[in-house]
Order: sequence, then structure tokens, then C-alpha cells
Amino acid sequence: MGGATAALDQDAELMLRVRDGDSVSFDALLRRHRSSVVHFLIRMVGNQAVAEELAQEVFLRVYRSRSSYSPTAKFTTWLFRIATHAALNALRDGKHERAQESLDAVSEDLPARQIPDARPSVEQSMIRQVRLDEIRRAVLALPEKQRAAVLMHKYEEMEYSRIAGSLGCSESAVKSLLFRAYETLRERLAAMA
Amino acid sequence: MSHLKCGDITDSLLEFVAGRLDGAARARVDAHLEACSACREFVDAHRAVWQSLDAWEAPPVSPDFDQRLYARIAAERSWWDRLLEPVRFATRHRWPIAAAAGVIIVAGIAVNRYALPDRSGPASQPSISQAARQGASIQLESLRPDQADAALRDLEMMHEISESPAGAPAAPPM
Repeated sequence: MGGATAALDQDAELMLRVRDGDSVSFDALLRRHRSSVVHFLIRMVGNQAVAEELAQEVFLRVYRSRSSYSPTAKFTTWLFRIATHAALNALRDGKHERAQESLDAVSEDLPARQIPDARPSVEQSMIRQVRLDEIRRAVLALPEKQRAAVLMHKYEEMEYSRIAGSLGCSESAVKSLLFRAYETLRERLAAMA
Repeated sequence: MSHLKCGDITDSLLEFVAGRLDGAARARVDAHLEACSACREFVDAHRAVWQSLDAWEAPPVSPDFDQRLYARIAAERSWWDRLLEPVRFATRHRWPIAAAAGVIIVAGIAVNRYALPDRSGPASQPSISQAARQGASIQLESLRPDQADAALRDLEMMHEISESPAGAPAAPPM
């Protein structure tokens, strides 16, 4: 099954070409997955600068691993496993605290950034920003694995099996993580729904 | 069909909310929801969560992301680049890999034998450049054929990257 899946995985084919020294294929992989990896990491750590630094490490690791790459799993599963490890390590190193500070800073900056060009929408705009801030806080407050599972499920539209592969757990564990995470979000966001 | 227990479709409800169920599975959930107010309430509440999460749009990636990445790759591989300078010509002209690897080994031996200072001379305080050359020659001689092969591939890739325009990812024509 793994071989059949890999045969259909265009990314794996590109990675095999990278292994053979094809720089164009590495560039193609970067273009295909740059945004999703960076966005996943932004939502994991809550800070764009930290997220982009981590994303650089992720793609560097992909590049370094090219000579030993073997398409035993779907490429994106492997890629997000690397990204998840990078995020979890960063969070354990305390970068999430800086991320949280950054989020606070963003919140303080938000009213100033909203130049009141259209006066009737200022209040609506501020309310929307407050709600968005609440959403981000609710997601960032989830336990790390639950957060990663939700982000891959919601924003990357990954199937349970691929999330399981990225998190290194079973599909049933992923279902449990997602159920608990979405229930927590429902409770926290109930007031604003 | 519509008399499924809630426990039978619990796993499907989140996928239903996400709109990722196929026709038959969606119809089963629809039928159950018509008869089960508790599950209907669950679905409505999680639809609200789902829509709230839609509001969190991630900002665009910095325009210089690729440039920074390729600069880091180039910096990381610059040791190989310097080491394999003598074989660039060979790789560009499609010499057999074995011949190119041979050039590396011969270059290493030559550097070791002729370019390094006389080892029988005063041993006190060798200069930094002497130490670096000694280290390079040891690394050259220790290359195995597979390492040389990998190094040549690295060299070609990094050469292509370094020749691409600043800010643009390496994308030579196929």
C-alpha cells in the first residue's frame, strides 16, 4: 500500500528527483508547500517571525535529508511531521511565551492599524478584530497536540490517517484529539458565536 | 436507516460539519439528524466553531522567504563548494562520476604532498591556514566514492542556486 501510494504522490517523485540532484524539483516542492507550512507554523506558535524561522528549518531539513529520502509515506505527511516536531520543540523551548507576548502586542496595535477611512465600519472592524483575537487565543490555548491536529484538519484539510502519520499516533487517537479540541473550542467560543 | 444510535455516527459528525463526507455517508447523518435533536444541536454548535475558525486567515509569507532559505542552503554547502572547486569543470562537461571522484582524490593527494609545509620542519605553532589545509586534505582523502558522488550532486545543485538571480529561487530550465 505504501508503494502504491508513493507511486501516485507527485511530491514524492519530486523529492526523488531532488535526491538525484535536481534543484528545479526542490524549488517546485518549496513553491507547492511553502505557504501551508508557514501558515501551519504561524497558527501553532502565534508569531510570524518565529514561524518563518521554523519553516526555514523545516525546508533545510528536507534538503539535508534528500540523499536518504525514501518514499515510505506520503510526502506531505513526512513534511508535516517535521513541521510539527519543529513547532513542538519551539514551544517547549519557550518561544510560545514570546509568541503570546507578540499576540498581546498585536492586540494592542490593532486599533492603531485600523485607520478609520470608512467611519461607519470602524466599530465593526474593531469587533471583528476582537473576535479574531479571541479565536487565536482559544486555538493557542489548546494543548499542543490537539492544536496541531485541529490545524491540520481544519486548515490543511488533512485526512485522519495523514494527521496520524504526522503526529505519530493512531487514527483513533487523532479522532479523540480532534473531538476534545473542537469541544474545548466550542465552549470557549460559545459566547461569541 | 434513520435509526442509527448517536454513538454510531459520532466519528462522522465532525467530518459532516467539515463538509467532507461523501454522498452516502452524508445522507446517513442527515437522516439521523432529522430524528435526533441532541446531534442536531451538536452539529449546529460545531458549525459555528468551524465558521469562526474560518476568520483566522494567516498572513502572506514574507517575499524574501525563498531567498533567505537558499542563502542558508548555500552557506551550509559552501564548504563542499570550495572543496570541489577543481571538479566543477568535470561535472559541467558531463565527465563520468568516477573520473570526477578520481580528480578529487588526486587533488587531495597533491595538496597533501606538495602544497602543505614540510612535516619534518619545526612543529611549533602552525598557522591557521596551514591547519585548515591539513584539515582539507584529510577530508579529501577520507572521501568514499558514494560521498564523492553525493558531493558532486550537491555541487551541481548549489551551483545552479548560486547562479540564479538574487531573490529568485533557483529554477534553471528543465
